[in-house]
Amino acid sequence: MNPVKKLLDLGEKHFTGSGKFSGLAPLFDATKTFFFFPSPKTRCTPFVRDNLDLKRFMSFVIISLMPVLIFGIYNTGFQAGLALGESYTFSQSFLLGLRYVLPIIIVTYGVGFFWEILFASIRGHKISEGLLVTGLLFPLTLPATIPLWQVALGISFGVVIGKEVFGGTGRNFLNPALTGRAFLFFSYPVSMSGEVWVAATNTVDGFSGATALSVLAPEGEKITAVLSNSGFSLAELFFGLVPGSIGETSAFCCILGALFLVITKIANFRIIIGGVLGLSITAIIFYLIPGGNESWISAGPLYHLCAGGFLFGISFMATDPVSAPGTNIGRWIFGFLIGFLTITIRVANPAFVEGTMLAILFMNVFAPLLDYIVMKYTISKRIPNV
Amino acid sequence: MENIKILKGFKTPITGMPDLSVIQMPDPETVAVPAVDIPYIRPKLLVKKDEPVKTGTPLFCDKRNKCISYVSPGTGIVKEIVYGEKRRLQEVVITLDKNRGKADDFIQFETVSQNNIDKIPKSKIIQLLQQGGLWQCLREFPAGDTADETHAPPMIIVSLNGNDLFSPHPKVVLENETFFFELGIKILKQFSNRIIVTSRQSSMDRLNKIKDHITHVVPDFYPSWDPSIVLYQLKQSREDNRSWCIQADQLIQVARFLLTGRYPVKRVVTITRSNDKKPHLIVRQGMPVKDLVGSLDNNYTITTGRFKGRSVDFRSHMGFFENTLNIINSNQEEELFGFIKPGLSKPSVSRTFLSCLTKTPKNLDVNMHGEERACINCGYCTNICPNDLTPSFIMKALLSDDIEDALSYGLLDCARCGLCSYVCPSKIELVQILSFGMDSHYKDKE
Repeated sequence: MNPVKKLLDLGEKHFTGSGKFSGLAPLFDATKTFFFFPSPKTRCTPFVRDNLDLKRFMSFVIISLMPVLIFGIYNTGFQAGLALGESYTFSQSFLLGLRYVLPIIIVTYGVGFFWEILFASIRGHKISEGLLVTGLLFPLTLPATIPLWQVALGISFGVVIGKEVFGGTGRNFLNPALTGRAFLFFSYPVSMSGEVWVAATNTVDGFSGATALSVLAPEGEKITAVLSNSGFSLAELFFGLVPGSIGETSAFCCILGALFLVITKIANFRIIIGGVLGLSITAIIFYLIPGGNESWISAGPLYHLCAGGFLFGISFMATDPVSAPGTNIGRWIFGFLIGFLTITIRVANPAFVEGTMLAILFMNVFAPLLDYIVMKYTISKRIPNV
Repeated sequence: MENIKILKGFKTPITGMPDLSVIQMPDPETVAVPAVDIPYIRPKLLVKKDEPVKTGTPLFCDKRNKCISYVSPGTGIVKEIVYGEKRRLQEVVITLDKNRGKADDFIQFETVSQNNIDKIPKSKIIQLLQQGGLWQCLREFPAGDTADETHAPPMIIVSLNGNDLFSPHPKVVLENETFFFELGIKILKQFSNRIIVTSRQSSMDRLNKIKDHITHVVPDFYPSWDPSIVLYQLKQSREDNRSWCIQADQLIQVARFLLTGRYPVKRVVTITRSNDKKPHLIVRQGMPVKDLVGSLDNNYTITTGRFKGRSVDFRSHMGFFENTLNIINSNQEEELFGFIKPGLSKPSVSRTFLSCLTKTPKNLDVNMHGEERACINCGYCTNICPNDLTPSFIMKALLSDDIEDALSYGLLDCARCGLCSYVCPSKIELVQILSFGMDSHYKDKE
């Protein structure tokens, strides 16, 4: 018999029924089902069931995040190296990055699971796999320099207010990871603003790395030219060796992840394609408006796609099925409007240089309304059967 | 002949398709008429234990319409009346009288001649079929209850294929029955001007003469041939919702009964099992399950349909409407790190298993493959529902007791094909919830 199985069998009686730790039954159950996949017999029709379950569903999102995560860790170290004026090898950069990123991830999972287990124990339901994804998405949206207590606060807000107060995974209407980020964004703008992205700032006096979206061209110059000169050429933005939040910088890695999710049918391609379309069309419209050469208004769709966190957001955040609409037409509109709002916030609102987070949260709120309208429409197309 | 274009359904190839050869099974010791597979029935017993019955003697009737009776498929003695929970009638078991040799003692009903079958008044046919225990072959949409003889259906759908992927092949069922089939269609024409005969694509090339009667061909994946799916594709107005349907094998029995005046007891059934090719069997109606499946160990579930059927006990008997038994494996083993295994042989409609790269037929088992979770709105159910429903929305409406919303979303179009529950990654019993909603709405209306 498998030794893990033996251990679990030994522990079972303490965690179930009238055992000493029966309050922690959800934790025990989560551990047990992590090792040994539960597959009881079906009780009613249909007697056969698909092999896909929520554990695998969420695990696949984690897998899709791996390129972004690994690149994010490397880039954190790489940017720090740049700031220090040293050239690190890949492994040196990676290890340095790990020193910054790993604590953030550990704190996120630790605090996140604390809340999840607390709520599951009180309510007596099983621990949902949704937190696995939230707990990895949230760190990737943060700058590597963020203080760990803020990470803990952010994920607590995201999990408790963004999800648990509504009843847990499946019943939240906002993306919990983004809710947590929005909380930090508005509460601690200094740690989240565009001037402190580079991990080395606390070691080198006076160094600050700005993100591409906060670049403004001087009077009379074109934004694209200035971007290229300041290390934000299209290729650099696409491959992502630029300052920014841990996970957002590489458009290439985001596309890899998005492709994986779409091919395995975990994420809905309608949201992603709708979003890219919405962003491109809006960017083109702004591009064609005369004037504004020196700001992001005239940056054009490609720069808008590759800079900032749009591709990360639309691939991993907007495709969170719980907070997105449940109808296919709704998903197209949802994606499109996220793209549209992202650009609108970026270029038309001087208060925020980046608009992805707000666009997604805003559309999360409208997702039920979109569903409602689409359902009304589809019902009107059906031959009534009442 | 028209092709119906259906895009959604269960397209994974699976193993266990029965062979087209036919074997005649000898009569069993006991036969039975179960009541548990008859939708909505409120049975009223008409026989007592140890009472002798002839072939065609009514065993029980439906309290809601006492003319509709379920009759004995054999001659012998009532051995046992089995009750379930709340004293619900499960089945009436009859010990066949072996001393009579092969001949049954039939109750002789009135006969009609084949020449004037289209001139006999409709009421006469209804009366004969109700007495003879065959009226219930006609089912009425949307609930699937026994057809209401007081109302004229806008169309009648005759389905050549059964409720399971591997229900008896129409070639075997209809091979020598063209005459009765044509007669049956004639009888149906008395009830409705529009008779739809449907067949799956793969059955078409072996149908010979019957082919001329087929009006619509449906794609070859489950559940395209289900009459509710066909109805959804064909209906043009809300009146069409109250159409009728009948299975082709039962239509033949109706015709045979009217012509001979004797209750037809023979059925063609299939037994399916993964990695096995069993022949079609000609058996008496109400065969004991154990005679059909042979001896098995405990790791199996026997059902009368993978997606749409009931699970049957080893000691019980096959029902009036049932013609398939699936013997499906169950996996007792809890796999180590099962949730992240590559899964080359695990069928899934998603593409999260390597099995999606191969086209080889897969084995299905009767395991849940996970635990129940809250609905995450992933849309798998919507994307597979052949009747374009949004099961997750309807489920939420039903769970919040909002039957009006559920109905407006199209609840009554549900074919109960079970595909939504099949695909759900949160393992929510969608079809169960929808079915319950439909049933309680229907019973309220009654």
